[in-house]
Formats: sequence, structure tokens, C-alpha cells
Amino acid sequence: MNIAELKTELERLHSASFGWALSCCRRDATDAEEVLQTVYLKIFEGKAVFRGESSLKTWLFAVIRKTAATEYRRKLLRTLRLTADIDEVEHRSTYETQTASSERSEVQAHFQGALKTLPKRQREALHLVFYEDLSLREAADVMGISIGSARQHYERGKKKLRESLAKMEVGYGNNWGRQENPSAV
Amino acid sequence: MEIIGDDKKIRALFSETRFADEQAAPSFTAAWSRAQSRALKPRRAFNLSLAVATALLVCAFASLALWSRYQTGTTLHTASVDLRAVLDLRANIESQTVQPVDQSQKQPQRKTRRTLTAQRNALMLAANRKAEQKAEQEAKQLASWQSPTASLLSSSSDSLFKSLPQLNENSVELKSFLPKRENEKEK
Repeated sequence: MNIAELKTELERLHSASFGWALSCCRRDATDAEEVLQTVYLKIFEGKAVFRGESSLKTWLFAVIRKTAATEYRRKLLRTLRLTADIDEVEHRSTYETQTASSERSEVQAHFQGALKTLPKRQREALHLVFYEDLSLREAADVMGISIGSARQHYERGKKKLRESLAKMEVGYGNNWGRQENPSAV
Repeated sequence: MEIIGDDKKIRALFSETRFADEQAAPSFTAAWSRAQSRALKPRRAFNLSLAVATALLVCAFASLALWSRYQTGTTLHTASVDLRAVLDLRANIESQTVQPVDQSQKQPQRKTRRTLTAQRNALMLAANRKAEQKAEQEAKQLASWQSPTASLLSSSSDSLFKSLPQLNENSVELKSFLPKRENEKEK
């Protein structure tokens, strides 16, 4: 696949990639954008090469995930060095207000809060399955784990999410904290 | 079947998030062009961490070299300390007699230095000769040494024990080696 073809495919997947980058960067839009730029840079420079071993989406998401982890580590080091750039902070605050306006729905706010309480792997599994419409096999490939582990994270995450949503009394007029009926399944 | 219903609700919440994210997402062209400009930007030639690492490495090598040189210097020093002590003693005595000289009198100073070095060499040679003579005397003494009990081991019949009868000798002469028992019986 040459760079022009790859560019077209990346453009098609851009919004999904941004969503995944947001999830990997704890819903920080600035970080997500920077991660995405770094990913495109890697692809442009040939540091990240698609060899067709999996689907392009799976490969791209795995690259985003790794890049986000690296960027997070760098950010932590920068914080330890106490060289926080003031401009960056200001820029972030304006961006956060934009994203906050997009999450103006109370239900969404509760939902995002509940998602944040989940462990990283569980959150990732849920995001890949529900948000990106990936199968568990593809989610496992993106996360770099076995399908069994991915299923575990997915099930536990779903259970925890349901519980935390019930605690927050969120739910489109439904009772999230319902008792499971064994005869129902 | 409520679990499936819950899944649908979670999916609905996620799709709502997705819709909001899509609206907030930056344009692909902008992101791609920024990435391209970052790629074309010349990289900083001076890498601080690399420079620090190199400096540390150089310092380590230099200190190692100095340390090894110092170590070899001390071993040589201990080996030649005895000879130097003698020479230094002589040099000190001579330097006490030498008066301080002006800058204009450099030539005589050099001469005195030469004479001093010549004297040192002569002293060294003399010391070497003495050591050789002493070693020779010791060797001679060792060669001429005899055990004090060696005289007890010698006797008058040593010549008989130490010599063997020869085949081309006369039979009469050979008889002298035989016992004289038969002659005694005849008597």
C-alpha cells in the first residue's frame, strides 16, 4: 500500500482514530490530537509500516495505543522535571471548555464519570467493542492480549459499568441495578 | 434478555459519545499537514542527553587511564626505592654545597648538572661492581663447601670397592678377588 492509498484510508478512519486516541488519553482532546499527529508522522516517516498482517483499522489503533502510552510516559517525565509550559496549559483549558460543551448532557457526564472509574484495560475493551464496533478478536489484537483476556476485561468492565451507572442512578428511565433473573437467559 | 437490553443502552451511550467526538474532531487535512511539517522540520543537532552521556564516558575513561598510570608509577617507585635512596642522599649532600646561581650563569649550572649526573653514574657503577664481587665470593664459598662428616665415609679399601675387575686381566690377578677358603682347607 503506497502513501497516497494509505492517506485516503487514514482520512476515512480519522474520526474513529480520534475517538480512540481520546479514550487512550483519558478524554484529553489536546493530547489526543498530538498523539494522532505523532501517529501520522510515524506513518509518513515510515517508522510505522502496515504489512497487511491484520486489518488497517486494527493496526492503526494498535499504533495509536502505543503512541499514547509513550506520550503519557513523556508527559509524566516532563511533570517530574517541573517544566510545565504555561502556554500549553492555557491552550488546554480552552480546549477543555470546548469538549465540556460537547458533553453537556447530564447522562453523558455521568456515563463518562463511570467510564473513568474503570481500569484502563476494561475501558479500552468496552470502547473498542461498543464505540468502534470491533469484534473481541480485533479488540484483543489492538490491545495486544489474548482473546480470553479481552473477553474477561470486556465482561468485567461491562459489569462494573452497569453497577456504577446504577449507583449514579443514571438510566434512560430504566433500572440499571436490576436483579438478574436466571430463567430469563 | 435484559442483558442484551443493557448492552443496547451502553451502546447507545457510546454512540452518543461518538457523535460528540466526531463534532469535536480536528480535520484530517490539518492534522496530516502538521505531521508533514513536523517531519520536514530539521531536527535539533545537539542532543543534550547524548552529550551528557558522552562526557560521562570520556571522564570515566580518562580517570581509568590516570588511575592505571598512577598504579604502574607506584610499583616502579617501590622497586627502585633502595637505589634512589642512596643516590638521593649523595645528591642532597652535593646540592647543599652548590650555591644558587643567577639566570645569566646558566652554562656553569648545566656543567654542574652534567658532573652531578656523571658522579651519579659512577656511583651506580661502583655499587654494581661491589655487588658483583660480593656475589662472586659467595659463589666460590658455596663451591668449596664440604660436609664435616664426609671424612668418616672414606676408608682404605675404597679403591677395591670403587674399581671393577677387567676381562682382559690375568687369571692370577683375578684370584685376588676370589675368597681364599679352598686354600685354608688344604692347609
